[in-house]
Amino acid sequence: MYPAWLVPVLGSGLIIAIIATFHILPSHLATGSFWFNVWLERKAYKENRPELLQFLKKYVLLILIFCFVYGSITGVWIWFSATVSSPRAISSLIHNYVWGWATEWVFFIIEIVAIYVYYYTFGKIDGQHHLRVGWTYAWGAWISMVIITGILAFMLTPGKWLETGKFFDGFFNPTYWPQLFTRTALMFSVAGIYAIIVASRLDNPDLKVEITRKAALWGIGGLIFGAIFAYWYILKLPPEAKNLVFGGELPYLKTLLKVAVIMGAVVGVYYVVFGLIAPHLSNPVVGIIVAIILFLGIGAGEGFREGVRRPYIINYFMYGSSQVIARSIPPKGVEEEVSKLNENGYLSVLYYLPEQLRTITENNKLEVGRILVVHQCAACHTLEPNGLLRPLPKLLSGMEKDDIRDLLDSLGDYAYMPPFIGTDEEKDAAAAYLATLAK
Amino acid sequence: MGGFLLNLRDPMGVPFHPVVFQVLMILTFALHIMFVNFVVGGTLIALWGRLRGDKYGIKLSKAFARANTVNTSVAIVLGVAPLLFVQVIYDPLWYNANNISAWWALFFLITIAAAFTCAYLFYLGKSEKGGNPVWSLLSLAALVLSGVIIHAISVQMLHPEKWSQWITASGKVNLFGNRLYGFSLPRFLHFMVPSVALAGVYMMLYSWYFREREDRDPNYVQWVGELGVKIAIFASLIQAAVGVWWLLTIPSDLGFMTNPFFLVGALVALAFIGWLFVARKDPAANGLKTALFAFVAVFAMAASREALRSAYLSRFNYSILTYKINWSIGSTLLFFATFVMGLIVISYPLLLAFHAGRTPDSRAPLKLEGLNKLGRLVVFLPVLWLIVVVALGISISIKNGVLF
Repeated sequence: MYPAWLVPVLGSGLIIAIIATFHILPSHLATGSFWFNVWLERKAYKENRPELLQFLKKYVLLILIFCFVYGSITGVWIWFSATVSSPRAISSLIHNYVWGWATEWVFFIIEIVAIYVYYYTFGKIDGQHHLRVGWTYAWGAWISMVIITGILAFMLTPGKWLETGKFFDGFFNPTYWPQLFTRTALMFSVAGIYAIIVASRLDNPDLKVEITRKAALWGIGGLIFGAIFAYWYILKLPPEAKNLVFGGELPYLKTLLKVAVIMGAVVGVYYVVFGLIAPHLSNPVVGIIVAIILFLGIGAGEGFREGVRRPYIINYFMYGSSQVIARSIPPKGVEEEVSKLNENGYLSVLYYLPEQLRTITENNKLEVGRILVVHQCAACHTLEPNGLLRPLPKLLSGMEKDDIRDLLDSLGDYAYMPPFIGTDEEKDAAAAYLATLAK
Repeated sequence: MGGFLLNLRDPMGVPFHPVVFQVLMILTFALHIMFVNFVVGGTLIALWGRLRGDKYGIKLSKAFARANTVNTSVAIVLGVAPLLFVQVIYDPLWYNANNISAWWALFFLITIAAAFTCAYLFYLGKSEKGGNPVWSLLSLAALVLSGVIIHAISVQMLHPEKWSQWITASGKVNLFGNRLYGFSLPRFLHFMVPSVALAGVYMMLYSWYFREREDRDPNYVQWVGELGVKIAIFASLIQAAVGVWWLLTIPSDLGFMTNPFFLVGALVALAFIGWLFVARKDPAANGLKTALFAFVAVFAMAASREALRSAYLSRFNYSILTYKINWSIGSTLLFFATFVMGLIVISYPLLLAFHAGRTPDSRAPLKLEGLNKLGRLVVFLPVLWLIVVVALGISISIKNGVLF
């Protein structure tokens, strides 16, 4: 085990969530926006309207800065946040999917070369060449989504991989296609809003109306198909996940789902009103607000996807928080660790402990207990009463040490909680420490 | 001591021979650090030119202000690959080193974002002389701070024997990840000083590229090249001195001075310095050759540093060669096929940009008919990629019964 990372008040799990949220906006814009750009550029050449190109150039700079700097930085940031808070989980994903990520990286390179060349060669090279560069970017960006979705979906539904350990069995897993289609449909909806915001700055009123109408149709189509595919996705959730959401185990997941649906509906109304009925009324401020609403909706969806695989971080394979391997993958020679750790103790794998903390005594009991709690609880539960993430002092308030000890024994019986892993002595130490929080 | 490190290795093993990941890591790191050096050195030159304030200085400052923004994003994207590969073969070291300094690892991305934002604010500055130099200065400071952080984490990777002491030094186990522990000044300088040298090389390349563009002032282009080679020589000599200093601080039990990778690396570096003296006679004409040679030198340095890491880790019996392999030939092929395709795909926009950049802005759009064939192929390749992958995906999904 790596040392755990203790984040007061927030909890390390929340840190990943916050950072991942920052990535949603630039990443979806990066994949979606260029479908609109190439469409508009084709129009410019076909109808010989150079003013459209001038206009495009201005907006590509925005995508460039926003997506290619903040998008890639926040993407790497997610990676670093996983590295420090769930190193074993990210390691596991990387050791399975390194070539998948490396393949995605090739498309990042294609994207970045294409977008800079696209931006800097406006009006300097023949239109057909320029348009081809735009297409290269659009395809490259979408393919990066085709790849990362495989790894994201794997975490919820590893599917056949649990038996074979094979790359493609895990990659093309039960929720891969519905998730890819949902994201792709929503990507066009994002492109629609982007296009409307861009069009609302146009001087030519006819053109503004024309583009806004078309973009609204793209956006509405994206939302409708997004909803259909999202429904397909829900149908394909594993039974345990459905139970968490619809069996009433974790009501917040249902709330997230509702938020996503409501946000989607608001965006749909916007498309109809400002896109189809009164396109001349559309303006950048409303557009940006609606873009944020759409991203909140997508964010709620991402939160749902992340929450629904509890108590695992990689479903059926590795527990969240403690990052203990819960299941053997024989073709890979990977053994489950729970039984061994219950026998030898969780402390036995904490290499960094100083000598005086390796065996539990009356004197060090609370400190050892604290360390065990940090490892096994603190990623999802804060230790301060005013903590933001399901604070333990509140959850345990009023409980005595013996009650807490019993609770630790029965944790695995809750559908969404991983078992507390370790020897009886270790559970005693953890309970003793937790009792100090409960007071 | 080594036992715990090997136990921390991912039980999944690696999907192909570990040396392949190592070579890819060194190669992509060399590309990454070269662009990082362009940015750090470029920011310094942009600031210097701006403060100098004369015609040439301002022109050079503006050129670098623009290049810095592009090079920053290229450096970031290139950095993703070594970041990935280091976690494949050195996971116990990478995760520990980051974990014990968790807040710093996260702060690293904030300093990069800040450096980039400031670089853009400087670039977009509207005054006749360019942006406000304060932005450039702040950008430089943020870049150096990013360098300090990632350097410290890399040093921490080399000292597994100290991890436990570091986080338990206070008597209580510190799991807050709020401190940085590793720092070695000569090693840090060995990464920073080349920034100046490579900015000089970049100026030679600039001079080589623009000397054929008719609307550029030839005296200015010449001046940039000559200044570039002077800077490159000066900084490379300092770098050689820093290298010796660093070498003297490396524990002798590692036997690094006789390590073949180090010897080759040092020879290449010296040969590069020798070449700079030759190139000085006509820096513009030698710009491209110098840039290519510089990459070879950077690559050789990266390989020697990797050899040094191996030497450090051999103290703990940690060798990447003993990493368990769970062969995944299919996914390996996917990557290499995509990689080759990617090189073909980017060649097209790069060639377009190459021609466009050498043509005065006043000209009509270039037809470049010779590139049409390549262009048609390049737009088709990603579609072909998709067809193959989707066909594979559908057949696997049907076989596994997970499609519907």
